[in-house]
Amino acid sequence: MALSEVRDARDCNLIVFVQAESDVGDAEAAFLEGLGVGGVIKGQQMFTATLSAEGVDGLSEQSWVRSIRLSQRLGFRKF
Amino acid sequence: MRHEKISAGLLLALEDYEEQAPERLGLQARSLGIFARAGSPKPPRTAVFIYCDPDANLDHLAASGIVINQSTGNVRTAFLPVGSLDVLSDDPAVHRIKPSRYLRSLMDVAPQKVNLPQFKRNTNLSGKGVVIGVVDSGIDPKHPAFQGRILRLWDQTLPGSGVLEGGYGIELPPSVMTTSVDTNGHGTHVAGIAAGNDSTYGGVAPNADLVIVKTDMQDAHIADGVRYIFRIAREMNRPAVANLSLGGHADSHDGQDSLSQIINALSGPGRIVCCAAGNEGNDNIHAEAVVKADRLGKMRFRVPDGVGIAWLNGWYASDNTFEVSVRSPWGFKTPFQAVIPGGNPVRKYKLLNAEVMVVTPGPDPSNGAYNFFVQISGNFLSKSVKEGVWQLRVRNTSSTEGRLNVWTLDDRSSVFFSGKSARDAMKIGSPGAAASAITVAAYTTKIEWSNIDNNRPEMGLDLDDISDFSSEGPLRDGTPKPDVAAPGAMIVSAMSRSSTPMREYRVNDDYLVMAGTSMAAPFVTGVIALLLERDPQLDPQQVKELLCNSSRIPGQEPGTFDPKWGFGLIDALKL
Repeated sequence: MALSEVRDARDCNLIVFVQAESDVGDAEAAFLEGLGVGGVIKGQQMFTATLSAEGVDGLSEQSWVRSIRLSQRLGFRKF
Repeated sequence: MRHEKISAGLLLALEDYEEQAPERLGLQARSLGIFARAGSPKPPRTAVFIYCDPDANLDHLAASGIVINQSTGNVRTAFLPVGSLDVLSDDPAVHRIKPSRYLRSLMDVAPQKVNLPQFKRNTNLSGKGVVIGVVDSGIDPKHPAFQGRILRLWDQTLPGSGVLEGGYGIELPPSVMTTSVDTNGHGTHVAGIAAGNDSTYGGVAPNADLVIVKTDMQDAHIADGVRYIFRIAREMNRPAVANLSLGGHADSHDGQDSLSQIINALSGPGRIVCCAAGNEGNDNIHAEAVVKADRLGKMRFRVPDGVGIAWLNGWYASDNTFEVSVRSPWGFKTPFQAVIPGGNPVRKYKLLNAEVMVVTPGPDPSNGAYNFFVQISGNFLSKSVKEGVWQLRVRNTSSTEGRLNVWTLDDRSSVFFSGKSARDAMKIGSPGAAASAITVAAYTTKIEWSNIDNNRPEMGLDLDDISDFSSEGPLRDGTPKPDVAAPGAMIVSAMSRSSTPMREYRVNDDYLVMAGTSMAAPFVTGVIALLLERDPQLDPQQVKELLCNSSRIPGQEPGTFDPKWGFGLIDALKL
């Protein structure tokens, strides 16, 4: 799903990669928890998340976030 | 004798028989289905396939000692004295006679082609103590090839509380693993190549343990799967190799995409990732143009009927700037769109029977390069993209010549470039482009097999050569990829009982034949498991050097790189 296809900005249905400027610390992890993002994030510079369009909007405003990239669907390498 | 009906190999055997050269017959015995016992007064006999009229009555051939095993069908098997081939070939209902071939164990001929059995005999390595992780379509947990060796299974597609690496899917302990099914069958086949345990069709590392991730194919979740595998292995204090027989092309083809970066971050001593190179060797998914300053470059691409949506993803260095336009088969075009460095870089255009979206953001944070996306879809009148030859037009507005690389993507993998810009290179995308990953091309070790119906399908691939479908490197920045080649066609391995493959590919009720770099990658994954058993602290660079140094392109000096072969076919005896 792409941003332009989102119908409800609060639905968490955007699977993304988030790249931070440096490894995620306590403050950043707390912010992410507020967006419903848990798991193995502290100490990572690149992590995955499932966000709403509102969440993407809010995260993109954070100075410690370098990039947010939409996940793509891959295919099997069977001939 | 009707020689035209008899296959070349069988004619050779017949010639030796007629020349009374039993020692040569002995050499052919295993490969040509000839049964000759030294010193036996009985004449040598041969097992053959007979291609004949489907309803032919061949009972009369019994008088010549020919035992035909089926009374109907256009392909039958028979057992006969070599001397009776004459009578058999003269029968008008018989069109072709081919020898039965001896099929070797362990994925047939593949391991022998890279000296794996000798390596395993010499070293006694079997993968014991090593974790092989497979992120794929799941596994058949009840398949006898894996009994007692699946440690964990994370099914990302089932509802559940998830795992540490992601709050989705469900982790299944061995007692309830059958809740997860591999209806596709790809993952079971891949796992069988790496680690299947079977006296006939076993895998490369049959004593390794397995951690399985049934993925929903989102590359973010595949990254979570790799993280999960390495965490489980770390908790068990074991080395691990993760296999990724999957990939895509919506990335920069330089290993700077997100999944590749996570693979690089997760890899390390005792943590290796092995990837398939891709199967686009025959497909013009990539085009390249060098455009002079202030000039226009054009790339043609053909959209067949029925494509719902088509994408183009272009990349170029940050010292250039290109403006992008698209021309439809009707001749209408969108305005040129420049880079939009701030704000929303998406613009929408309407052409006759088509909607076009063009995205031209500023430099990508991961590699500093520019990229653009073009999305073409039908409109309310037509659900599919207008069939025909489209054109991507790029205007170089910078003061220097610039190179542009573009890849096609679509919902049916059927949109290809045509004309001079199409280029058979740089077709290894994420995650095969990851710097730390071992990226594997496919080599053809087998082109025909006996299927469950006793037919002998034959593939149009060149035997003992690089598989033509295997994707070419190098990466967009010139980095050599793939790394090595390994057997990838046609490979016999485990069949998921929840899958429904065509009978043509089924060897029996438990095994089937498949091809692809999907099959070559787990072969190398199994080899890496053997290396990690020998030295659990090997890091990705050491593994890569070991593999590349033990590989060679036939007829070339060791160390020679080719964008199709990488550093060549692995030779396990040199590991």
